[in-house]
Amino acid sequence: MKFTIREGKPEDCKDIERMIMELAVYEKMPDQVKISHKELERDGFRSNPYYQCLVAEVPEEQKSKDGYTKVGYALFFYTYSTWKGRVVYMEDLYVMPEYRGKGIGKALMATVAKVGKEKQCVRLQLSVLDWNKPSLDFYMAKGAEDLTAKEGWHHIRFHGEALDNLAQEAP
Amino acid sequence: AKFILRKAEPKDVSDILRLIKELAKYEEMENQVILTEEDLLEDGFGDHPFYHCIVADVPEEHQSADAHVIIGFAMYYFTYDPWIGKLLYLEDFYVMKEYRGFGIGSEILKKLSHTAVRTRCSSMHFIVAEWNKPSIEFYKRRGASDLSLEEGWRLFKIDKHNLMKMTDEE
Repeated sequence: MKFTIREGKPEDCKDIERMIMELAVYEKMPDQVKISHKELERDGFRSNPYYQCLVAEVPEEQKSKDGYTKVGYALFFYTYSTWKGRVVYMEDLYVMPEYRGKGIGKALMATVAKVGKEKQCVRLQLSVLDWNKPSLDFYMAKGAEDLTAKEGWHHIRFHGEALDNLAQEAP
Repeated sequence: AKFILRKAEPKDVSDILRLIKELAKYEEMENQVILTEEDLLEDGFGDHPFYHCIVADVPEEHQSADAHVIIGFAMYYFTYDPWIGKLLYLEDFYVMKEYRGFGIGSEILKKLSHTAVRTRCSSMHFIVAEWNKPSIEFYKRRGASDLSLEEGWRLFKIDKHNLMKMTDEE
């Protein structure tokens, strides 16, 4: 199957919003999606972008049953490890079910790795849900190591009211 | 103890690296720190800052046993959640042992959460090692949730060697 991987553009945000929701449904947390293409446009394509994204596109002849040619995406940004330095963090990687098994996911991820390499990143990090076996297998096959299992790291969050309460006590 | 919290400056990188190593030692992973002062300088104060840093400073008279004036720090950056938007990610947060119990850690955390709210971040995220009970209690007391326990998220890394393999195959 022919496909291209390219940098995301503002006009892709509606498709990215669609696919973000598809991924959230797969991850069983669709009600947690609170932003739309408007925030994606504002946060990814103005003077100080908070993320980078890649889009996987197929030619018209191979469009999806619902008529989409944008069939996958990767969303990533740069983080910093005080031990190792620059890290590229892949926040989302998604390919529509009817386009899986054709190397699109692999190509998206390799492009993220390439971009990270150009920025002298020493590592790629990502998070996976513990029940998500297809994804766990996909990443392990590429040499990923589970730091939660190996070193005991847990993701912690201060959200909503907890964050506000903390901030209100600020001097 | 009297102290002030301020934005880190290029001249602070030597102290920041010292504290990074102390924290790594506490996390029992001291030999994993390969970052240098030069890296910190270029990555924090160059054209494209990869991090932001605040330091806790005490007056000369209260300097530490080995004559340090910078006795705590927090390093953070902004990340993005496609479901809720901008997040403040706390990478490192540390106060030297002899200065704990004076509310310095609390003040740093409050200042960070204030920054998060002011910059329109929906959340502040970070990771903690599961054996680090004092830190987990500190955060839980203030309303934090453990997403690894609650939702099942696991953190993965792919090292340079395997990244090169991926890019070579394309």
